[in-house]
Amino acid sequence: MKEVSHGLETFLQQVINGLSLGSVYALIAVGYSLVYSVLLFSNFAHGGFLVVGGYACYAALKVLGANIWVASAMSLVGAGIVAVVTERLAYKPIRERTNVTLYLLIASMGMSIVIENLFVIFVGGRFRALPPVIPTSPVSLFGLATTSAFDLLSLVASVVFLGALQIFLLRTKWGLAIRAAAYDLRTAGLMGVNVNLLVSIVFFVAGALAAVGGIFLSVRYTLYPQLGGITIKAFVAAVIGGLGSLPGAVVGSIILGLAEMLTAGFISSQLRDLVVFSLLVVTLLVKPSGLFGKNVSEKV
Amino acid sequence: MRKSVLFLAMLCLCVVSGAWAEETIKVGYLAGITGDFAAYGQPEVNAVKLAAEEINAKGGVLGKKLEIVIYDYKSRPEDAVNAVRRLIDHDKVVAILGSASSGANIATAPLVNRAGIPQIGTLSTNPLVTVDEKGKVRPFMFRICFIDPYQGRLIGYFAAKELKKKKAAILYDVGSDYSQGLREYFTKSFTEYGGTIVADYGFRGGQDMDFRAQLTQIKATDAEILVLPNIGKDLALPIKQASELGMKDIIYVGGDGYGEFMVEIAGKALDGSYWMYHLARQDPAMKPFFDSYKAKYNDDCQEFAIAVLAYDSLYWLADSITRAGTAEPKAIRDALEATKELKLHHATLTMDPKTHNPLDKDAVVLTVQDGKSVFFKKIRPQ
Repeated sequence: MKEVSHGLETFLQQVINGLSLGSVYALIAVGYSLVYSVLLFSNFAHGGFLVVGGYACYAALKVLGANIWVASAMSLVGAGIVAVVTERLAYKPIRERTNVTLYLLIASMGMSIVIENLFVIFVGGRFRALPPVIPTSPVSLFGLATTSAFDLLSLVASVVFLGALQIFLLRTKWGLAIRAAAYDLRTAGLMGVNVNLLVSIVFFVAGALAAVGGIFLSVRYTLYPQLGGITIKAFVAAVIGGLGSLPGAVVGSIILGLAEMLTAGFISSQLRDLVVFSLLVVTLLVKPSGLFGKNVSEKV
Repeated sequence: MRKSVLFLAMLCLCVVSGAWAEETIKVGYLAGITGDFAAYGQPEVNAVKLAAEEINAKGGVLGKKLEIVIYDYKSRPEDAVNAVRRLIDHDKVVAILGSASSGANIATAPLVNRAGIPQIGTLSTNPLVTVDEKGKVRPFMFRICFIDPYQGRLIGYFAAKELKKKKAAILYDVGSDYSQGLREYFTKSFTEYGGTIVADYGFRGGQDMDFRAQLTQIKATDAEILVLPNIGKDLALPIKQASELGMKDIIYVGGDGYGEFMVEIAGKALDGSYWMYHLARQDPAMKPFFDSYKAKYNDDCQEFAIAVLAYDSLYWLADSITRAGTAEPKAIRDALEATKELKLHHATLTMDPKTHNPLDKDAVVLTVQDGKSVFFKKIRPQ
């Protein structure tokens, strides 16, 4: 009997681990999906925005001595602006010249390398830890499992920000415009929507969400220029959930977080990436548009 | 017009580099300035430059100044191979120092052997760096540090005999020669001393950043110590996450992958952990080094092991060139191999000609108190 309860405890613990990992993936995956829904390409520079957010928060805390709220706000705005500037510099010229989204994809890969290397050169490659602004002390959940206070906070923050995004999309004029553009960007433009402004807003929102993910990731995993690499998992989550679908991105992220933790815990820790990418392959074979995706003929 | 300017610029470059080659002895250095070992990269570069400056200030070697050619191998074996090729073919160095990584040095060994240019690994502790699979020494590969079997044995000996623990869990990097080597030799020695391995989990270094799945499984066992045969961030993150999961009684033990910057990541959770190490900061013989480092770079040299080994590697090389009486690579190799009772800053070095490993080097155990590593004791396993 004791064996069984011990096993159950470990299982619960792994489920909580999975949910907290999934919630951070969700913040990043939603940014991917948001950009994809409007411009129909996967923005691989998204990981770069996340890194910008992390370093902006670090700088605000360490250099300016700001408190966590001010630092987070500066980080969100900073990453949002970098995202908008990236779009203006690298994607807009391509967007205006051609309809082929493959070029945008390639440009985004380039931008991701550019951003990473700018940090390596100007900030340095070493690992930095944010000051302990977010509590990470262990919290016992009804004596059944232990989690870090930080995990609960990241879960709450994910829910709050995703909720706020949902309200923005459903209740505001620009939200309506973004949803219209997600159906058809051209037609939305013909209907009098300022497409360039709309795309900028989308990038700003995606950048700000990436910054939230960046702050949480850098508290958990420390901050370094290659931190953006973790977004590959969030991208997989977005594809499994259906690129372009926001609920899909969230569900995909939770599935991925759970799959990773349960595989690593109960099957083999070395198989976790194998399982993650197998899930991706199976999704693409069985339901190429993902769990919640709309049917699109071309997916880049 | 533009073409001719470019041509002129290239011509100038050739002339400049040609002129340099005559006055100096060129030594290559492989540094991990970016990539996985980035935290260790800057200190080693600073330290080797400091050593060169000191040696040159005293008149250089054989009346010539040492010139250090530094390449970033990005902590990747494939880039190390490219850098070594360039150092040999283009820069025409007489010897290569670095890298700190076993994986990179195993990859470059065939190259330096073919070209006949000696290379000295600083922190590359895997046996295969200097000895091939058949047990034959690689003639042009050397190292200044002790090796993984010795390090694994140290952890096993320390855990079983000094800490008197019987049950150990291991969390190791499946993609790293270093980590695999330490794990293998720790397991062997710990079980020989009567201990049991109750959990043995892997992760993928450089990619996995979340270790909570493995840690949760380890928490469910009755392991008394957690052996972390990893490097830097891959040591600090599991410790941080373990403390977040409420694992406060387990003792962390590891090898020379420990770095002071880990304190910034793992904080208080690091206190009371033990690390098998090459040298201690408190060693009085090292004080001049730390003083000049601080004076030159205004930095405390957190990653001191790699820095000191890089620093002493150049002193070792300078001594060998002096003994050889010529800066000819083959003669340098013979002199390196014949090194006996050479007093360097951190240790006295004697080469084993059969393995090119240092003979009977004492190891130091460090422990962490209030976020600073302190000397615990000197050990040599029996």
